[in-house]
Amino acid sequence: MKIYTGTGDKGKTSLFSGDRISKADAQIDAYGDLDELNSILGALAAHLATEEKRVAELQQIQSDLLQAGAWLATRPDSSATDSLREVTTDQIHFLENAIDRYEKELPQLNAFILPGGHITAAWAHLARTVCRRCERKAVSLITQSMKSQVTEPYQHLLVYLNRLSDYLFVLARHCNRIHGIADKPWKL
Amino acid sequence: MALPINLGNCKVGSNLKTKVATHSAVLLKRKWLSHKSFEIMISSPPGFQFEPGQRVGLSMGGHTRDYSIVSAPQEAELIFCIRSVAGGKLSTLLSVADMGAPVSVYGPHGYFTFRSTTRSAVFVATGTGIAPFCSMTRSGISNFTLLHGVRRQEDLYYANQFQQNAHEYVPCLTAADPLPQKAFKGKVTAYLERHLPSGAYDFYLCGRQEMIRDATLLIDERFPDSLVYTEIFY
Ligand SMILES: Cc1cc2nc3c(=O)[nH]c(=O)nc-3n(C[C@H](O)[C@H](O)[C@H](O)COP(=O)(O)OP(=O)(O)OC[C@H]3O[C@@H](n4cnc5c(N)ncnc54)[C@H](O)[C@@H]3O)c2cc1C
Repeated sequence: MKIYTGTGDKGKTSLFSGDRISKADAQIDAYGDLDELNSILGALAAHLATEEKRVAELQQIQSDLLQAGAWLATRPDSSATDSLREVTTDQIHFLENAIDRYEKELPQLNAFILPGGHITAAWAHLARTVCRRCERKAVSLITQSMKSQVTEPYQHLLVYLNRLSDYLFVLARHCNRIHGIADKPWKL
Repeated sequence: MALPINLGNCKVGSNLKTKVATHSAVLLKRKWLSHKSFEIMISSPPGFQFEPGQRVGLSMGGHTRDYSIVSAPQEAELIFCIRSVAGGKLSTLLSVADMGAPVSVYGPHGYFTFRSTTRSAVFVATGTGIAPFCSMTRSGISNFTLLHGVRRQEDLYYANQFQQNAHEYVPCLTAADPLPQKAFKGKVTAYLERHLPSGAYDFYLCGRQEMIRDATLLIDERFPDSLVYTEIFY
């Protein structure tokens, strides 16, 4: 089957819940950014190629992000959400455990650091900032479209994105550490 | 792929929730429905569960292809409606395979399932794209409008079933043969354009990619605020 369908040639696309909406809609904007984040994680994993454990961890996160993206690509009030798998606390714990593991090996931070250093750290910082943008857009989308009450699946999604940014921050520092590069503190 | 919403590189719909497994089955029956299309019945593998509208991967002789299930979940066997494609590997094999031949079944997959709302459902199929709607109607879903686009009358398989259960069943024929009663001469998209009253509907489109593209663009223009679910066969 061809990859192109032609149904999006006039600026509209379909949500998982069947809605035909403008490609400029906030919902498309939000999951588009999640796709961007996922691709950046792919670039980071490519640079970490020899570190099998790190790559496996990133691939798990890439898979989680596809799962999260499906929620952003579905209208919250649609029964199509019944077909979606929720982001679980286990997936959030996976990030938290990794953060704790990395942090144990890292020197304490007493100042802001400049994003960068080793190429892998630079990619991790870039991923972190895109992850924050994803979180901002998800918050805006979820709070606007679910004015009354944010349900548990969406709450978990927000926690996951929040934790992922922290994970990417410590991963960046870890990448510098294993490559023998000291994080550069911010000096005025 | 079931509901081709494009998450960047990923067409969602392969699998988000259901457990997918590989099952073994055997070919039990084959019945020709027209010159080119036939129905096969295979044993339903133990523990195999699906929702009406879903598809599976069928595998034989090293070839695997997707097929939508025609039968309803409560039926004892799995039924498929297959077009014998000229030079096509698996469809040809399935058209001649001996009864009792082993078939591997992967799945179920997909999200082309019926979601009940307050709006009217319009099912649009071309050719064997009728398959998922068969499973739905055999499962008790009724009151929909169904357009079935085919070349000739002989390809209107399952017409009886739909005449009973559909609110409206409209065969759309493109060949120049004499028209059966209540049939429309032309493509399904022409019928949508000329005869479906304006409004918002839940559209379910299944079959050829060209039809799905043309119908979707037409729906955007003529039936805004409708929902559109699609299943592209080829
Ligand atoms: C989600 C999904 C569900 C499907 N369900 C069905 C089904 O219920 N019944 C069914 O017959 N097919 C169905 N198909 C198509 C099926 O998967 C195969 O593509 C088809 O049987 C041809 O396989 P083949 O090995 O014989 O041909 P191949 O050797 O793979 O050659 C493929 C050629 O066949 C053409 N082709 C594919 N399907 C058709 C068709 N139905 N009519 C005319 N030309 C076609 C393609 O354009 C291509 O040129 C489905 C496909 C998808 C993606």
